[in-house]
Amino acid sequence: MAYYLGVDIGSLTTKVALIDQGGMLLARAVRRSGYHGRETALQLVDELLREKGLMAGQIAGTVATGYGRVTFPADREVSEISCQARGMVHLFPGARTVIDIGGQDSKAIRVLPGGRVADFAMNDKCAAGTGRFLEVMAQALEVTVAELGALAAGAKGRCPISSVCTVFAESEVISHLAQDTPREDIVAGVCAAVASRVTSLAGRVGPEPEVAFTGGVARNRGVVHALETELGRPLLVPADPEVTAALGAALVARSLTGGS
Amino acid sequence: MAKERRYLPLRSTRYLGRTMQRYYLLTRYQRLWGRPLKRPLAWVTSGAPVEILRALRIDPVYPENYGAICGARRVAPELCRAAEAAGYSPDLCSYARAGIGAILRPDLAPMGGLPRPDLLVTCNNICGTVLKWYEALARRFNVPLFILDTPFVTGELKQHTVDYVLEQLRGLVGGLERLTGRRLKPADLQKCISLSNEAVRLWGEIRNLCRHRPSPLNTPDLFVHMAPIVVLRGTAGAVAYYRRLYDEVKERVRAGQAAVAGERYRLLWDNIAIWYQLFRFYHLFSERGACFVTDTYTGGWAAGLAPGDPLESLARTYTAIFLNRSVDFRVRQMVDLIRDYEVDGFVMHSNRSCKPYSLVQEEIRRRVMNETGVPGLLVEADMTDARVYAEEPVRNRVQAFLETLEMTV
Amino acid sequence: MTTASADRDPVMILLEAAASGGAGWPQLYPGSRPFGYFCSYWPEELILSLGREPLRLLPPAAAGVPARLPAYCCLPARACLAAGEAKEYDFLAGAGFAHTCDTIQCLAGIWPHRHTFMFVPPVTMDSPEAGTYFKAELERLWRRLAETAGVQSDAHQLQRAVVLMNRIRSLAGQLDELRPQLPSPLVAALMRAGQLMPRAAYAASLEAALPALAVKADGVGERRRLLISGSILENDGLYVMLEELGARVVADDTCTGYRHFAGLVNERAEPLAGIAARYAARPPCPCRHQYLEARLDYLLALARRRSAEGVVLVVRKYCDPHAWDAAAAGDRLREAGVPVLVLEMETSTPGGQERTRLQAFLECL
Repeated sequence: MAYYLGVDIGSLTTKVALIDQGGMLLARAVRRSGYHGRETALQLVDELLREKGLMAGQIAGTVATGYGRVTFPADREVSEISCQARGMVHLFPGARTVIDIGGQDSKAIRVLPGGRVADFAMNDKCAAGTGRFLEVMAQALEVTVAELGALAAGAKGRCPISSVCTVFAESEVISHLAQDTPREDIVAGVCAAVASRVTSLAGRVGPEPEVAFTGGVARNRGVVHALETELGRPLLVPADPEVTAALGAALVARSLTGGS
Repeated sequence: MAKERRYLPLRSTRYLGRTMQRYYLLTRYQRLWGRPLKRPLAWVTSGAPVEILRALRIDPVYPENYGAICGARRVAPELCRAAEAAGYSPDLCSYARAGIGAILRPDLAPMGGLPRPDLLVTCNNICGTVLKWYEALARRFNVPLFILDTPFVTGELKQHTVDYVLEQLRGLVGGLERLTGRRLKPADLQKCISLSNEAVRLWGEIRNLCRHRPSPLNTPDLFVHMAPIVVLRGTAGAVAYYRRLYDEVKERVRAGQAAVAGERYRLLWDNIAIWYQLFRFYHLFSERGACFVTDTYTGGWAAGLAPGDPLESLARTYTAIFLNRSVDFRVRQMVDLIRDYEVDGFVMHSNRSCKPYSLVQEEIRRRVMNETGVPGLLVEADMTDARVYAEEPVRNRVQAFLETLEMTV
Repeated sequence: MTTASADRDPVMILLEAAASGGAGWPQLYPGSRPFGYFCSYWPEELILSLGREPLRLLPPAAAGVPARLPAYCCLPARACLAAGEAKEYDFLAGAGFAHTCDTIQCLAGIWPHRHTFMFVPPVTMDSPEAGTYFKAELERLWRRLAETAGVQSDAHQLQRAVVLMNRIRSLAGQLDELRPQLPSPLVAALMRAGQLMPRAAYAASLEAALPALAVKADGVGERRRLLISGSILENDGLYVMLEELGARVVADDTCTGYRHFAGLVNERAEPLAGIAARYAARPPCPCRHQYLEARLDYLLALARRRSAEGVVLVVRKYCDPHAWDAAAAGDRLREAGVPVLVLEMETSTPGGQERTRLQAFLECL
């Protein structure tokens, strides 16, 4: 039996996925890595293999993706756009548009039935519409990023955040707080701001249904809800959105070595 | 206690509303009434030689004015987003983005968008953007595009430049004659030029009345009341409107009425208005007794056409407008305004949408401050895209600036 | 003039000039005071005819932040102004601006050099009156340049300059024909050198280098064939990354690349009229208008002629003319079945984000 590894070294976290010949996800691991993506990835791979009782020789192929992809000793490095497309279509065969919001960037990808990329767009050099934006806003609101989803669910209204610049948006949030606007409503506004940025991005690739949403930010119910409202349709969201690119990388590794 | 009212509204605003409503109503249904009369509809830039069009019974529509409307009604961000989703960079001019967004999403657009044009006329005397914008429109609508190329004037306007523009105007006339199937009658052109000149003269007079202390108008008034000089230039309607406005402003001067009660500081404004903040932003000043008595922007419509050969005078006037002139020219213009209007300070809107207006502002600010000793403030914003406007930083700067004035005046 | 090329590898001479970025001129070519210029619509022939060397001013890599331009102005303008304010261009005899975009217009207005010239070519290039105006504007510029330099403008010298520039353009054309078979960063650097070193020496070195380059030409192989279009690329970073990612730039429409050299001046025409006519017929930059679809037609034809599999439209952040055309050209090329990537870059050195985009784009092909 041959196994395949996908390694996704992102700006903040490193993700590893292990699949078998049938494309079944056997194990996954996620760890915050900061600047030490390569070391973390090697460590995670080691741990995964040990956990599954596999030898390095049983891995028939490894593909690296994410910002740190060039640093990792893989058989091949593939952009996270191709990997994300592949992973998501594997999970949701009906998906034709994939939205991915990660820590530093957001992407909209139009995909073909087999998981190939037809077109894509990425955010410009600015944190609005990314996980980083949410982090900054969460800090200003003195809550954790994980709490944002629950807070947004409790919103009665939606306080508009109009600035596109993260720094200015932060000062907007602070002045809303100073005016005693309910925290929940501000959070809903923050989520809507991310959603509207990303919807505009999606518009550039001509989004087709079904639309799937992944990346770390897809865990945030507030953004999921805001994005569903903006796009006017329910989104397909994987149970484990952090590792879909790593899964895609493993799938690419499998097809590269001829195992399908 | 009720808050003291510091701002005096103009009665003419009612007539303005009616005038503009009528214009946009006629424009909106121009496709119905214009076609049987063989009156084509043109989208034109604010610096296009509209007298020629009017004389040939072509009805002009101004996307830039429409952009300002989108800004004032605060729908520009939505429209800009629609254009951005279609591949237009968020760094491009927000009038252009809002205008293209309005074509893509008429459901979001004020008045359902502008009526489809039969032709496009662009003149690059205000910026290079209008060339690219109108090229995009020409592709979208697949209608003839007429370009008037008015070379940037580095020092004095040279004869070979005038000759070039004049030749193009002759070509434009020929092209429009073919398109309309009409001949341009010199008398018709002369009549439009006279009406243009009369409205421009009145507009200039109205601006001049603000030399009085206290000033009868604040620049936001000029921003609101400039609409007819833009969209109705060359018509009797514009002349009638500005006669009425002139009378009211003159009356204010006679009665010693101030636009901003208790006028303490007289300011000069540089650049296009911040349309979505027209009252809130300027209120930051008026609440402290600061009145904008003049500006460089609405003065762009106060330059009359020289007598002589009508086409040559059109060539000269449209090439020599201030946005097509050197930094030296613009410094001189501001220094003169500061002297003529007894200005205590100036505020420059660093407008992300308008590079030719804005990129040289810091240099102009330094030179004007050096020459006049009057302080100048630079505020970064955008004319229509509220998404780049940062309330708190702007408020802080304005406050600090007014505190400086307090100490110097 | 050509003594250096006799004992040194001509390719090395050219690469040295390309790497200097222009700032190294006083060290590389002591004893000559070049005349700096912006934009490829600046007529180099006029400078040469007055006994000066034209030097294209490209944004230096480590420039500061100039106070007199806002952050929403493109980096090439900001970096050049910062260098100018830091007196890094004091070795120049003067600076010339050809009016192109709003930003260049503004930069010319605040440029810190005593001898700054602005010359305004027509925007619409296709009419007789544009030709007449263009020639008059060139005449006026030539006169002013000569007055400032304190020399007589001389038609014979101008004709010689035209011949030299034509020779350079023909050689650059031969280099461009070899482009698909040569490493892309090498071709980009050789083209850039032609704007950064004495022109006669450039012609001699390039002429000497071409036979060896032709021998070295090895074919595209498995590489993805790309067309690159854009404005200024002051270093080879993008070309290096594309080669790393397994691509080859088989066609180039950048302002500092082949577009700068495209087209010849008719040597039998009156020189100023000939210079004007060359600009009018040259593949246009987005700031010029030949006819509505001229630039898009050119790009599509170029992509087809060189069998490009994809097109990368490089837009420098805050460059309005190229951003406008990227929208239109993107639509047009995609409709014609040519995949397009619009790549926004602040500097010309691509980083991680650009790598991801380029790689994903190549994976899509």
